[in-house]
Amino acid sequence: MELGWGPDEEAFRAELAAFLDANAPPEALGHDFAQDEGDGGIPQWARDWQARLFDSGWLVPGYPPELGGRDATPAQSLIYMEELAMRGLPRALHFPGYAIVAPSLLEFGSDEQQALVPAALRGDTVWCIGMSEPGAGSDLASLSTRAVLDGDTFIVNGQKVWTSYAMWAQMCFCYVRTDPNAAKHKGISVLIIDMDTDGIDIRPLRHLSGNAEFAEVFFEDVEVPVTNVVGDVNDGWRITMGSLAHERGGLWVQGVSGLEHALGDLVKLAKATGRDTDPVVRRKLAEAYVTVHSLRALGYKGFSSFAQGSSAPEHSYLKLATSEQGKALYELGVEIAGGPAIVTDNDWAPGSGRWMRSFFTSFASTIAGGSSEIQRNIIAERILGLPRG
Amino acid sequence: MDFALNDEQQLLRDTARALVTREWSTALVRAHMGDPSVADELTKRLTDWGALAEGPLVDLCLFLEECGAGLVAGPFVPTVGLYAPLLATLGDAEGFTAVTTGGATGTVAIADRTGAWVPNDGATKFFVPEADRVDHVAVIGPGPSVTVTGPVSPRFIATVDTSRRLFEVDAPPSTASTAPAVRLDPDLLADVQARWYVAAAAELIGTARSMFEMALAYAKQREQFGRPIGSFQAIQHKLANMALANESAWSAVYYAAMAIDAADPDRHRAAHVAKAAAGTAAKLAAKDGIQIHGGIGYTWEHDLHLFIRRFESSEHLLGTTEWHEDRLADLIL
Repeated sequence: MELGWGPDEEAFRAELAAFLDANAPPEALGHDFAQDEGDGGIPQWARDWQARLFDSGWLVPGYPPELGGRDATPAQSLIYMEELAMRGLPRALHFPGYAIVAPSLLEFGSDEQQALVPAALRGDTVWCIGMSEPGAGSDLASLSTRAVLDGDTFIVNGQKVWTSYAMWAQMCFCYVRTDPNAAKHKGISVLIIDMDTDGIDIRPLRHLSGNAEFAEVFFEDVEVPVTNVVGDVNDGWRITMGSLAHERGGLWVQGVSGLEHALGDLVKLAKATGRDTDPVVRRKLAEAYVTVHSLRALGYKGFSSFAQGSSAPEHSYLKLATSEQGKALYELGVEIAGGPAIVTDNDWAPGSGRWMRSFFTSFASTIAGGSSEIQRNIIAERILGLPRG
Repeated sequence: MDFALNDEQQLLRDTARALVTREWSTALVRAHMGDPSVADELTKRLTDWGALAEGPLVDLCLFLEECGAGLVAGPFVPTVGLYAPLLATLGDAEGFTAVTTGGATGTVAIADRTGAWVPNDGATKFFVPEADRVDHVAVIGPGPSVTVTGPVSPRFIATVDTSRRLFEVDAPPSTASTAPAVRLDPDLLADVQARWYVAAAAELIGTARSMFEMALAYAKQREQFGRPIGSFQAIQHKLANMALANESAWSAVYYAAMAIDAADPDRHRAAHVAKAAAGTAAKLAAKDGIQIHGGIGYTWEHDLHLFIRRFESSEHLLGTTEWHEDRLADLIL
């Protein structure tokens, strides 16, 4: 047990910091991860920034140079997360391509499919993930979008929903049912679908915060070449939410750092509104500080297990805890802001509507990527060994 | 940033666990209610581990966590957790060596009647652990100043937890003390207090772990409606929340111990976080632990209440969760 990092890690940090100080676009600094991206699509500065990170070997440091990295160690990858999070700096404003599709294709894709990886990482190709359906949310394996083989072509029919970035994407990494008679986990395949194919209808879905960054996607007799199957037919469930293996030990950093930034802003809000002398507010802020800083320590504990090759169950805890705590922090912001919290855009209102916006947006975090209830099921059954319900 | 235990630390934890399991039990905790001398044998074994007081706080915490998990009674915990770090800070080399190698025991008298563990001018100190069976009592008075005395005649305070005995101790009049009062730099005392909080939190997460493990085991074994109750989501989600709270608190405690060992500027905040996180986790483990046990957990016969009693004692010594949160608010606002 030891606090701090070794000289190799600190040298890496210094080199990264110099690069970020010289190159990070001003629009990206202080990015509020709790806010959604709005209706405007992916801005040019974000596309340029992702490409520059790739070209400089700073997009996925754990990857080799030809894949936008520099063969960094797990500890260096964690430091990369820390430095980005400290600056509130996103790598990209659309994550599916570099974070999910690229690693999945590298692990399961054919040679031809692997050739798609550099563009997915660099952001030249925007990807969406076709997973959730109206009838398949937490019970994802019950998805019913059908793909029927006709000669060398799959004919796809069905509907996806909550498909982030679908209206800006060129490609879809789509989970479809190829064997309706098999057990539900066993009849699923993954298809790469070109979003320009005839028969695809994309309808942006406005969400509670008022913006539309995800969509419903309808497939009607969409033709997909059989060579676009990733891995084997009916073996798609194995290709579940792949994430960057090198970075799995540090995925929590952005979440916890986001909480720390929000807590820092809450302290400022309390001072600006004079609520910092209210003992109730003081107690609640301290309570939040205890949770947030315990979670950072838990993240480092999980990273230590990860670096030693253990499965690091801490990450299930962190997904649950950071999303729930985020909601609690923004709720506290709304409480401290008081009456003006409902004002959406006015300089005299504390935070100019930010706390309520973030509170609304935070509702998504305890649902997306596996709801808090599903996370508790996973913790109970896979970590604590309780019998399946 | 390494939270992994090295080989020596794993061995230390395993040794502590084996020693506590071999020398102590809930049956002895019950016997200790009427006869504190049943802990003498355990205390004799534990004094071999006095040297932990001069090593890293992380190592001491690993040992104290096991003491808390097994409800260890007697003067060992206050000796290495409270008394020894104070002596080290006073520069009392002779007294300190007596603890680390000579088997001497000691405790600390500082708290007032409200349970605030800060220097005060009260003539009587409250909540002094194990004061009737230690070799020395360090009494902290205003200034702050410290007077180390030999055995005193304390007054027993009946509390909910019989496994940790607490006393009132009268501050010695200046003429009668065996050693003169020594002035202590307030910053140095603050560092000693941070150690106390983290040591107490380490013991507390051990107690929380035991309550959680009892509830988890019971949920797997107890059947209702023809299946283990642990297959019900209502129970599963309680246990998931308890596990998360325990894991978070564990991490907070060892982060704080590492921060103190490294004299990191974050150590004072971290110490408050540790004690508050441990208290929060233990309270959840106690409340939901008993809920998961149902009626059997509410009986005297079942051991769970012994742990709940110890949790409440640990929660209220060295500052409650809320007290630490309020100190933390002073540091962050």
